[in-house]
Amino acid sequence: MSECRHNDIVVSGIGITSAIGQGVKQFTEALMQGRSNFRVMERIGRQVNVSSSEKPALVSKFLGAEIQNLTIPDRIPESLLRTASFSSQVGLATLCEAWADAGLHEIDPSRIGLVVGGSNFQQRDIVLLQAKYNHNIEFLRPSYGMSFLDSDICGLCTSSFPIAGFAHTVGGASASGQVAILQAAQAVQTGQVDACIAMGVLMDISFWECQAFQSLGAMGSANYANEPARACRPFDQDHDGFIFGESCGVVVIENAKSANIREKKPYAKLLGWATAMDGNRNPNPSFTGETRALKAALKHANIDASCLDYINPHGTGSVIGDETELNAIRECGLNHAFINTTKSIVGHGLTAAGAVEVIATLIQMKEKRLHPSINLDNPIDDNFNWVKQYPVEHQIKNSLNISLGFGGINTALCLQSCI
Amino acid sequence: MNKEDIFNKIVAHTCDVIPTLKDHQFSFQDSLKNLGANSIDRTDIVMMTLESLSVRIPLIELAKAENIGALAGLIYERM
Repeated sequence: MSECRHNDIVVSGIGITSAIGQGVKQFTEALMQGRSNFRVMERIGRQVNVSSSEKPALVSKFLGAEIQNLTIPDRIPESLLRTASFSSQVGLATLCEAWADAGLHEIDPSRIGLVVGGSNFQQRDIVLLQAKYNHNIEFLRPSYGMSFLDSDICGLCTSSFPIAGFAHTVGGASASGQVAILQAAQAVQTGQVDACIAMGVLMDISFWECQAFQSLGAMGSANYANEPARACRPFDQDHDGFIFGESCGVVVIENAKSANIREKKPYAKLLGWATAMDGNRNPNPSFTGETRALKAALKHANIDASCLDYINPHGTGSVIGDETELNAIRECGLNHAFINTTKSIVGHGLTAAGAVEVIATLIQMKEKRLHPSINLDNPIDDNFNWVKQYPVEHQIKNSLNISLGFGGINTALCLQSCI
Repeated sequence: MNKEDIFNKIVAHTCDVIPTLKDHQFSFQDSLKNLGANSIDRTDIVMMTLESLSVRIPLIELAKAENIGALAGLIYERM
């Protein structure tokens, strides 16, 4: 177990909502059992359904994992939820868990900040609303003028929880969740706040985004349309793109002095982190950019690659993405470390992914067990320390989380267990 | 559709927006502001009412209503 010094940056609370379970307890159980929830998506606004007398019917069957039976805590007033998007509702529910876990009520509200990782995360709600009022825009709810903004979630969170330091969103595409954590760490490190909540917000995509992702070749094709459970295959030879998974992760970052005063035992300390850009607007990954981020994170953490014993990769199931990432990991001398694929079970949360996967890492530290990777039947490269279809008993000491995003965004975060 | 029907629509949508008012005994003299509706709530309540009545009235013309009864009256006049 690692002792925390006063100027360390630690994780003092977590909260998670996902298609495999709401709350850390349910999520942990499903994660360790490798129990996914992929199917043809059913949430209204997720599928193309076009038919006319002139064209044949176009009905999509986009695969994904969707949250079932969301429970909103009583402390969130019903009146607030009426105009809150689905992303915001899930965010509020998830924040509630992390808030309680960290005991944030003990901290002066002016010393608490909030960074919401994600942009354009209310697409489905907006598409449905605009379709509804397409021919009678005069009746559009005036409150749309505030609720369409990404920052509406900041207003909702700070009116439901005493957060008075600062609150804003930050967009980093599929790296948003981890970008939020890095920003939160910097806010605490500079003394701007004592505790900063980092939320990887639920990316509520509509059929427009699903269609574009599939056409782009980013989202899995129809190859597994009849076998959704086999579709999400990060690093497997039969991978063919990411499979979407609704999720939201909240991580509370705090300075160790504040946590120690409160006698709050942290999950882990943030040893080091880094961001590196490819200088590329397109979605294709970059070996150079990823390698730079990994090496810079290790340098910032002042840790040798040989000391890392666990990697939680970005691992989406993208053919070129998976290959590039393994090359970067190998280049940094990290292929000895245990490695598994959270997305194979949870799906790709897009804006939420980075935060969800940090939470998965922290859970594994606490459980002293590494979750399985599903559908990793034939790895594209077997020269890695894969955790395959069965969980592995192991106490993580030092981990590396990798989170990447369209537009050449590469982030890496080193954590050290305090368990 | 008479004024009382419009009043009832306003009441229903007020309860949609502020669920804690569902047991309140509404009267024509009730003011949305005094019942706890903020400015956003009030404009949403009015817009929801207009939509359910399929009546198009610029919100600015309804802004002077001081209570629910007066609001119902203004809408009734323009139907």
